[in-house]
Amino acid sequence: MNELQLIPLLPFIILAMASVVTILLIAFRLSHTVIQVTGFLMMCLVVFATWYVRDTLPEEVPPLFIVDGQAALFTGVIIFCVLVIGLFSYIYFEEREENPKEYYILLFLATLGAAILTISQHFISLFIGLELLSVSLYALIAYLRNRNNAVEAGMKYLVLAALSSAFLLFGMALIYMEAGSMKFSGIAEKLPQVSSSPLFLMGLGTIVVAIGFKLALVPFHLWAADVYQGSPTPVTAFIATISKIGTFAVLLRFAQTIHLQQYPLIIAIFSVIAISSMIVGNILALRQQNLKRLLAYSSIAHFGYLLVAFLPGNEAGTEAAAFYLIAYSITLLSAFGVITLLSSREHEAETLDIYTGLIWRRPVVATILAISLFSLAGIPLTAGFLAKFFVLSAGVQQAVWLPLAVLILTSVIGLYYYLRVINTLFGTSGTADVMQKTVHPFFHVSTYITLVVLAGMLFWIGVFPGLVLQGIRLFLLLH
Amino acid sequence: MPILFYISSLVAILATIMVITRYHPIHALLYLIVSFMAIAVTFLSMGAPFAAALEVIIYAGAIMVLFIFVVMMLNLGKQTAQQEKEWLQPRVWLWPSVLTLVLLAEMIVLLLRPSPTDMPAVAVDARQISLSLYGEYIIAVELVGFLLMTGIVGAAHIGKQRKKSLHRFLQTTTT
Repeated sequence: MNELQLIPLLPFIILAMASVVTILLIAFRLSHTVIQVTGFLMMCLVVFATWYVRDTLPEEVPPLFIVDGQAALFTGVIIFCVLVIGLFSYIYFEEREENPKEYYILLFLATLGAAILTISQHFISLFIGLELLSVSLYALIAYLRNRNNAVEAGMKYLVLAALSSAFLLFGMALIYMEAGSMKFSGIAEKLPQVSSSPLFLMGLGTIVVAIGFKLALVPFHLWAADVYQGSPTPVTAFIATISKIGTFAVLLRFAQTIHLQQYPLIIAIFSVIAISSMIVGNILALRQQNLKRLLAYSSIAHFGYLLVAFLPGNEAGTEAAAFYLIAYSITLLSAFGVITLLSSREHEAETLDIYTGLIWRRPVVATILAISLFSLAGIPLTAGFLAKFFVLSAGVQQAVWLPLAVLILTSVIGLYYYLRVINTLFGTSGTADVMQKTVHPFFHVSTYITLVVLAGMLFWIGVFPGLVLQGIRLFLLLH
Repeated sequence: MPILFYISSLVAILATIMVITRYHPIHALLYLIVSFMAIAVTFLSMGAPFAAALEVIIYAGAIMVLFIFVVMMLNLGKQTAQQEKEWLQPRVWLWPSVLTLVLLAEMIVLLLRPSPTDMPAVAVDARQISLSLYGEYIIAVELVGFLLMTGIVGAAHIGKQRKKSLHRFLQTTTT
């Protein structure tokens, strides 16, 4: 290893530095605002660093990492999400009872974990990245530690994530035993000899369990609703976007390197998981009266859709998956941003009653929520529609008919509950709520502007996807 | 020698089963130590003396610390001494000791034997381990450092005492 190899890792080094800088700022007892602004600038620096090292890509940092276009793309999406989530966190935590400062350390460390996952090409870095992500999430979920819901959610996530890590380690050990290597490419070399051995398949199966847990796929989805409901809203947004993007990126790289999709058994397993996620997620969301739980179930279904793009294992599939993740994260960020904005000091704005007739009281916020729900449902002119369209076309190329049929049918079911929420927004409300005087006008205004920009982006990507698609292709070519 | 490997793995499995079926935490901890030692002997028989030593020092050592915690938290007195006497019946410590004796016998055999012949094992020493940890895997080591930092920050936040309870000498008398 020499210094030149460290250059492509520059964005990740800055990301790691961000948490250390935050600790120093806390040590000097600086205010929440200073920490927030510094964190924001550090994340911008990460984006610039990614841009700066773009020409050196693809570069392998043996044995653990490979920084290529795909990694840069997913890291970019992750950093974008953490920028937005960091902004939402200010008004959320400024009004809560807990000291918000440690939150940023944990937030940046969790982001580091997710970013490490995108560049992993070795089981060791995969495991460390995943642990970094989960350990910070345990604390982030239970951050408001005096609320019963939060502690319960944190405990649930802790127990289940620890169990899934055990599964992951066991699977890695089994694969290492058979293939004699923990590097993805090393496994790929040995694969022809070991691909039918039961121990290898068992190892692969237990790894699928662990990944399925992180992505909240059926049948490993039982934690999703409670954790989404119990955690602070910005953290919920984090779990729904960054944690899942990171995990999906590493799954994608693993599948690409060892050509997972040529094995009919694996395809069958993933098809079953995708189909059951789509069906169960959508059906559980049907009668849901709590917006955060509804979004949890809808995210289960959405990752089922995403797996349909993963099944073909071709270029179009990867492209569709990247586009889907971008559209999905913008959509969810705007939805959770609205929830953050409407939450009061004591209560999260999660029951649907709060949203009755919102459009008459706060038209801008309600419109943004409606747009993001339209995008989740996949109505044309929004990003969600095109994302689903690309997934479908990737699936059609490889003729995975059954998952495609289920995708279309369950999308129709999904339409019902998204429209139910939108219907609530337009309902007549008896209570005229008092406009609360905001304590932090600057951050309130910037959150508003961010939400409007996010909603605008949903429309823009939905109508003119060309630029985004071009960008994705450009990055994916760097491998 | 493969037979030593198999005996110690059997001991490890037996001890671990006992760990998860005990009702009393102290009994479970005793078996847990035996389990760790059995794994250490497994490492030793495969030619990894450094990993074996680490297993004993870190894991078994950590359990010792846990013991100290339990002892510190119990309010010691005559009653507890009596209780401890009741706990220390032969049926409690007999099986862990037997399992440990098996391991001890194995270790003596391993140490007295001149060189491994049956099992192709290359001894991995501390130098090799540190070279690979601080050579090619240096980034992984640094990331583990960040992982520890996450754990510390998270635990510090969750476990923070909200109410300041002052010592009675420091409290103002006016309240």
